[in-house]
Amino acid sequence: MLRSFRLLGALVLTIALAGALSACGSSSKSSSSGTATVTNLMGTAPDFLDPGLGYTTQAAEADWISYTGLLTYAHANGEAGTKLIPGVAQSLPTISPDGKTYTFTLRKGLLYSNGVAVKAGDFAYSLERSIKLNWGGKSFFTENIVGAEAFDKGTAKTISGIKTDELTEQITVSLTAPYGAFANVLAFPSAALVPTGTAMSNLSNKPPPGVGPYEITNVVPNQSFSVVKNPNWAKDEIPGIPAGHVNINAKIDTNTQSEAQQVLNNSADVFDWADTLPASLLASIESQASERYAKEPTVSVFYFFLNTKIKPFNNQQVREAVAYALDRRALSRLDSGFMTPACFFLPVGMIGHPKGSCPYGDPSAAPNLTKAKQLIQASGLAGTSVTVWGETRQPRREYVDYFASVLNAIGLKATEKIIADATYFPTIGNVKLNPQAGFADWNQDFPDPSDFYLLVNAKSIQPTNNQNFSQVEDPHIQSELAVLNKVPSTNLQSVAKRWEELDEYVAKKGYVSVYGYEDVPKFFSTRLNFGAAIFHPVYGNDWTSWQLK
Amino acid sequence: MGTFVVRRLASMLAVMFAISLLTFLIFQAIPNGDPALRLAGRLATAQQIEDVRKQWGFDKPIYVQYVKTMEKVFNGEVISYSQQQNVESEIWRDLPVTVSLALGAGVLFLLFGILFGLLSAVHAGRFTDRALTMLAMFGISMPAFFLAAVMEYYLSYKAGIFPIGGYVSLASDPWEWFTHLVLPWVSLAILYVGIYSRVLRSNTLDTLGEDFVRTARAKGLSERRVLVRHVLRNSLIPIVTLWGLDLAALFGGGALLIETVFNLHGVGQYAAESIGRLDVPPILVITMLTAFFVVALSALTDIVYALLDPRIRLN
Amino acid sequence: MAIEPAIGSELPGGGLPAGFEGPVVAPGLGPYQLAWRRLRRNRVALAFGGLFVAIVVMCLLAPVYAQDIAHTSPDANHITETIKVGSKSEEVVSAAGIPIGPTWHARFFLGADQNGRDVAVRLLYGGRNSLFIGAVATLITMLLAVMVGLVSGYFRGPIDGVLSRLMDVIWAYPALLLGVALGVVLAVSGLNLGLFQIQGNSLLVPAVIVGVVYVPYVAKPLRGQVLGLREKEFIDASRAQGLGHVQIMLGEVLPNLASTIVVLVPLMLANSILLEASLSFLGAGVQPPNPSWGTMIGDGIRFIPAAIHTTLVPGIMLMLTVLGVNVLGDGVRDAFDPRARIRVER
Repeated sequence: MLRSFRLLGALVLTIALAGALSACGSSSKSSSSGTATVTNLMGTAPDFLDPGLGYTTQAAEADWISYTGLLTYAHANGEAGTKLIPGVAQSLPTISPDGKTYTFTLRKGLLYSNGVAVKAGDFAYSLERSIKLNWGGKSFFTENIVGAEAFDKGTAKTISGIKTDELTEQITVSLTAPYGAFANVLAFPSAALVPTGTAMSNLSNKPPPGVGPYEITNVVPNQSFSVVKNPNWAKDEIPGIPAGHVNINAKIDTNTQSEAQQVLNNSADVFDWADTLPASLLASIESQASERYAKEPTVSVFYFFLNTKIKPFNNQQVREAVAYALDRRALSRLDSGFMTPACFFLPVGMIGHPKGSCPYGDPSAAPNLTKAKQLIQASGLAGTSVTVWGETRQPRREYVDYFASVLNAIGLKATEKIIADATYFPTIGNVKLNPQAGFADWNQDFPDPSDFYLLVNAKSIQPTNNQNFSQVEDPHIQSELAVLNKVPSTNLQSVAKRWEELDEYVAKKGYVSVYGYEDVPKFFSTRLNFGAAIFHPVYGNDWTSWQLK
Repeated sequence: MGTFVVRRLASMLAVMFAISLLTFLIFQAIPNGDPALRLAGRLATAQQIEDVRKQWGFDKPIYVQYVKTMEKVFNGEVISYSQQQNVESEIWRDLPVTVSLALGAGVLFLLFGILFGLLSAVHAGRFTDRALTMLAMFGISMPAFFLAAVMEYYLSYKAGIFPIGGYVSLASDPWEWFTHLVLPWVSLAILYVGIYSRVLRSNTLDTLGEDFVRTARAKGLSERRVLVRHVLRNSLIPIVTLWGLDLAALFGGGALLIETVFNLHGVGQYAAESIGRLDVPPILVITMLTAFFVVALSALTDIVYALLDPRIRLN
Repeated sequence: MAIEPAIGSELPGGGLPAGFEGPVVAPGLGPYQLAWRRLRRNRVALAFGGLFVAIVVMCLLAPVYAQDIAHTSPDANHITETIKVGSKSEEVVSAAGIPIGPTWHARFFLGADQNGRDVAVRLLYGGRNSLFIGAVATLITMLLAVMVGLVSGYFRGPIDGVLSRLMDVIWAYPALLLGVALGVVLAVSGLNLGLFQIQGNSLLVPAVIVGVVYVPYVAKPLRGQVLGLREKEFIDASRAQGLGHVQIMLGEVLPNLASTIVVLVPLMLANSILLEASLSFLGAGVQPPNPSWGTMIGDGIRFIPAAIHTTLVPGIMLMLTVLGVNVLGDGVRDAFDPRARIRVER
């Protein structure tokens, strides 16, 4: 008998242990007075909440309202939201006639969320910090600002191209060459100000103080974080940046199915736009929650790259055949209908998106397979083997499954190579491997077409980490880019027509087989005022616009 | 005896070393798998990649990297590649989920395994035995992730009896904790119930044939008493050993399929995600942790058996 | 013949309840005939064996079904097509991405998947892949395990030490984690075995992984049996006759392992099919667009609850197959080893 009691005792003990461990895992709830709290469910955790490191949309969503740089974007829907406005700078920069010097003056009396006064020198420190921390986009700084590369390599103690004057609060930034999109670069949260002396290490678990209507607190890595009102932020502290209405509790839940369910039955408030609404729940959301659900366009492009250096896609007819054969409606269905069929490289919402019709058939209609087959036959390349590359992530793998099936249908011999997400871009970016075709996408870093044209710019072909997957080297594109890339972002409208013509040219050449621009869900609980909430063209849901009904 | 224990422990260390090395090497085999490329991001310049390589020590020879990583593992300082979080604290965060899942299921499959196995043995050859055998066959033939998905569909979506996936901590709401875990427990336990009842059935049949059982019967003890005091006691020892090993494997992420289906963010899912991201440090720590439990438990069993039975030592 | 009754042919102990089917000792019959007689009487085992054979035949006929009945191929996408179901015309995949359920007609008999592929066709082709991998993996497991078991148990000493530690390493490595890790890595890099070059998307990659992962589970009990056998007189006798080690191992020891191997094969086949399904479910097994039951379930699970057929169809087929093998295997075990002494060592 004794032994069976021992067994029982062991069971009781283990259950108690489970309880104790579970208790360790729970976090304490913080209650704040006055301000209501809204729960935002995120399927993917921000990569880094530290503004010096954050690069994903999930990070930017929280960072851009907690960390303001010299410039920021207007808090508005659609194209109005792409407008640059002064942030901690008093006004938009004065740009020297040669386009190489940007001058700003700091606003007076600004405080960080910890109460410390903002100084002009903090700008230089913040940029140095992002470079030191190896921010994913730091090449935007190191390739453009004088002395930033030397600082990065450790040969200089500071960035010589940034001059700050503590008396006049003036900031001057010198560029190595005119770069039109530089004002956009300064609007990255990674160029936002943090106090001089902030540790040069990843502070994502306890984000540093910043200037902005909100501050990030209570970070439980990969689980949750809070974005609460910054006590040191007065209304109209910076014109154009709203003070916000509610506190936000962001919860990470990788199960988008249960996320959507929670928002549908109002036990959580926001379904993060960067997540995919599960296909299985779409119907019930559209019928039961139509007044609090909308599809919002993003400025992104999805395409299959076609290597123009080798057979068979070095042949214009074969590339045209692909453009004719792709049924973009099918690809849209693979994304649960969240893909707007398209053929132009520059997406809707980006200056330079052509207004004319597609060169090889209407993307929203049935494809022309007969024509495609004829073109393949005419090219004499029928039966050529093609390895199509893709990554495992759904629905990207499905896109490639479809693409391979189409290539086979029009007379090529396609096999798939699907590899882990983590190695996908490094692998297809290895020029030695010379991948023939495969999945690719691009999301805007900032609202300037040059950001997209990096992907077909001959100058960006490099042995590793190549992003010009089609390996396009076209003299016409190069001569146009040489001019267009220099136009300051504040003056983009003047060259809109020229960008459009360039984009039509690229579509005709078929270097990249574009199939659509992705839409994302804006989906709230009934608690929130859906109409008043801004969907920002750069950062998605604008948390400062959320308010209870 | 002393040398036996020392030898057993030494071989345990050797196995642990080999496992850590194997894990480390597997991921070196990936073409274009240079972690610096991944960490630096899509827009990185050559300089940036070089910086990352230096910062993380990827420029060092592979054995230096291995030693450095292991040093960090033992100091609890090892950082994941993908989100640069301390791996050990991530595992501590996920452990309550996995422990809740594994222990609950463990209790279930131990109890039902014993119950069914015993019933089966006592009624050997008769209808109850055949029915239970068939049930056990279903248990060991059912892919756990499929069963989990089907149960979630019918009981959570259709009938609305249980919540749809996710985890609630025991401390925040014990009832929710329980309802969120019922389906995961059951779907995880079914396989093991099948195995345990089969093992217990044959052990019990073996024991029933032993002399001491006959003696006990001859003494006129009641059938129930014979069964509980003499038979069960003897056939339980291997079952409990097995239970320890299985639990060890489950703690270390063996339940990753169930965790994936029900979206329980436990150690298993952390491991699966890390493999998907080719994030070596967490994979290394989790495999070593599990292997440690498994190896240590089996070494312990061997030593205990050796203490009980001197013949084994000579072997 | 001096056959050691390690795998019992003696009657189980006396205290068994009436009706227990102990083996009937028929004089003059060898162990195999005896086992076959017992198996033949086990109707349940034979019925499930028949189920398994039926599934195998169906899967082998996949190309016939695809060409002559469904008129498609396993990888052909029909996303934007419409088909007639009864009098209604329906989309294969809806605009929101939900695939059509079973039509019970020739085309899309069991519905479509997210890529508008015929589930029934993929089920049969997927079955071929799953069964092929299961069979090859079992073959690899048994071959390696027999080699390790023989060499380890026969020579003992340092060779045994090294091999046993090697087995310990694989055994202590969490099986699924090892499988997934190898699967993810090899899917990218392929496998270079010196003589053979296996492409990353070859079915042999998961087969080798599953096969190797399971070796220790079989090698351990075999080694134990060999350790016992080598002490027997008939081995001493062969040694005295001057037979070489290899001759003794293959000619004398191996035949005595045969019944254990026969009992373990169906068990390992069932486990291999299951592990392959788990790996494929996690995306680390069969590589797209090639189907396998595991990948089909993995894809289908996302469409719960809107399109449960994408999960149910491959899942049920997988379960029935494994069940067939397991019940048949249990019958074989009962026939050879009524006291269930042969076990996979866990």
